[in-house]
Amino acid sequence: MRHYSAWSLLRARLAGNSHWQPLWSGQSLQQAYDVVVVGAGGHGLATAFHLARDHGIKRVAVLEKRLVGYGNVGRNTTIVRSNYLLPENHYFYEDSLRRYETLSRDLNYNVMYSPRGVVDLALSDDDFPGLARRGNALRLAGIDAELMNISALERFCPELEPRRSRRFPILGALVQRRGGTVRHDAVAWGYARAASALGVDIIEDCEVTGVRTRGEVATGVETNRGYVQAERIAFATAGHTGMIGTMLGVPLPIETHLLQAMVSEPVKPLLHTVLVYVAPGHAETYICQSDRGGLVMGGHLDGFPSYTREGQWDRLEDVVQGAVELLPQVGALRILRQWAGTNDMTMDGSPIIDRLRYDNVFVNAGWCYGGFKAIPASGAACARFVATGTAPDLIKAFRLSRFATGHLLDERGGGPFPARQ
Amino acid sequence: MSRLHCPFCGPRELREFRFHKTLPTEPGTAFAGIYERIDNPELSVEHWQHVEGCRGWLRVTRNPSSGAVLETRLLGGGVA
Ligand SMILES: Cc1cc2nc3c(=O)[nH]c(=O)nc-3n(C[C@H](O)[C@H](O)[C@H](O)COP(=O)(O)OP(=O)(O)OC[C@H]3O[C@@H](n4cnc5c(N)ncnc54)[C@H](O)[C@@H]3O)c2cc1C
Ligand SMILES: [Zn+2]
Repeated sequence: MRHYSAWSLLRARLAGNSHWQPLWSGQSLQQAYDVVVVGAGGHGLATAFHLARDHGIKRVAVLEKRLVGYGNVGRNTTIVRSNYLLPENHYFYEDSLRRYETLSRDLNYNVMYSPRGVVDLALSDDDFPGLARRGNALRLAGIDAELMNISALERFCPELEPRRSRRFPILGALVQRRGGTVRHDAVAWGYARAASALGVDIIEDCEVTGVRTRGEVATGVETNRGYVQAERIAFATAGHTGMIGTMLGVPLPIETHLLQAMVSEPVKPLLHTVLVYVAPGHAETYICQSDRGGLVMGGHLDGFPSYTREGQWDRLEDVVQGAVELLPQVGALRILRQWAGTNDMTMDGSPIIDRLRYDNVFVNAGWCYGGFKAIPASGAACARFVATGTAPDLIKAFRLSRFATGHLLDERGGGPFPARQ
Repeated sequence: MSRLHCPFCGPRELREFRFHKTLPTEPGTAFAGIYERIDNPELSVEHWQHVEGCRGWLRVTRNPSSGAVLETRLLGGGVA
């Protein structure tokens, strides 16, 4: 792997930019591996990277049925933050956010971490105490959170014009300044490049269709390119994890639901932070402006199980309405693109990292619509789990048995309805 | 999928309906019924309500991979 630096950029420029190498290339599928990771999304690639770097595991493959970055890692709205209410969640996501802060250096690849702040707006008297409670829980855990009144918010985000008259008042906000955005594709590419430099085989167009077992151990995976022997198998298949459960005959507390997002035409700087809110009469809305200038907007799930990756029109309309009611100037923009991703929604809205039926089969899933921010911590912890056989404390609460024992991690307290998490 | 066929009201825009929950595809314990799913990408049986219409409760059978609605019945066997 060629090291990237200001100097290498300059040298490449002087050479007419003709010497760039592919980020990774040319690996071929071997017959046997120490660990086979299924799914080259963020979680699979990060797991493979840490297996090779931190645990010295030599023969690691990532098998991907489509392309690196084709799944949700390339479809999300790029928001990272750690402002979760429950301790099991906020310590984990804080670990992840800290890793994002240094990820560009760790991978020698610019992932464009932009700590522009994540602003959860309070639009009603009910919103404010809820945000205050969350903020206090975070501060007790030593995680940054600032409850802002309208004057403080005006200073932090003048372009929002909090006092302007609209359909609803803005009362204040909970702000996490270190939250922000990270370029999603760069995370996938950066991990893939770093992992392959450590000898990890990244194999695209390779779909895992079954697991071969002998007694109570898995011996390898069946793929469209033949049988691959594996000492250990880790599934990081995000929105397709339900099907993996079906493949192994294990019921999972997961349903597959769609989430859509869209981006407007690029414009000059209009919004420097990330806004998250629930406008009265609408589901959730979140908006930020990409470095290219497009407004990236998303909302809540489509509302019913789906594998189609198409998305319902009325959900988009709801997001646009929520956006225009807050920032009327958005109404003048044209939408450039809309897309959807299939999400592995769990019954309590929190992730699952655990063994799956066999002692040497692991699952890293249930990231719902919020797993992009989790990638660095999940990769490190999952790799440790797979390498040592013991789950690190950070992810102990994400065990599968919590649904049976009642130790649910339900941030919203909404009950076992994946569509409403 | 942009419409559902309500047995009372006929074909209506999807936005008039609210999805409530999926039903287990195989019989099991109460715990399994609430928390566990065996995913079948071709078949999903669900409870919906026609909230912005007759408010009837429906049992909808769909193919979540193609979006096709296979059957819509009124829950509890009312007249329709
Ligand atoms: C519209 C949208 C917006 C989002 N916004 C945010 C956000 O702002 N912040 C945030 O933190 N999260 C967000 N998320 C969630 C986040 O993107 C996901 O939780 C996360 O990317 C999932 O993990 P992954 O990257 O490993 O998944 P993926 O990239 O989906 O990786 C899974 C891979 O497994 C492959 N695969 C599946 N089955 C098989 C098989 N049998 N054999 C081989 N390969 C297989 C798939 O092809 C896929 O490439 C959003 C999601 C969506 C859809
Ligand atoms: Zn009706």
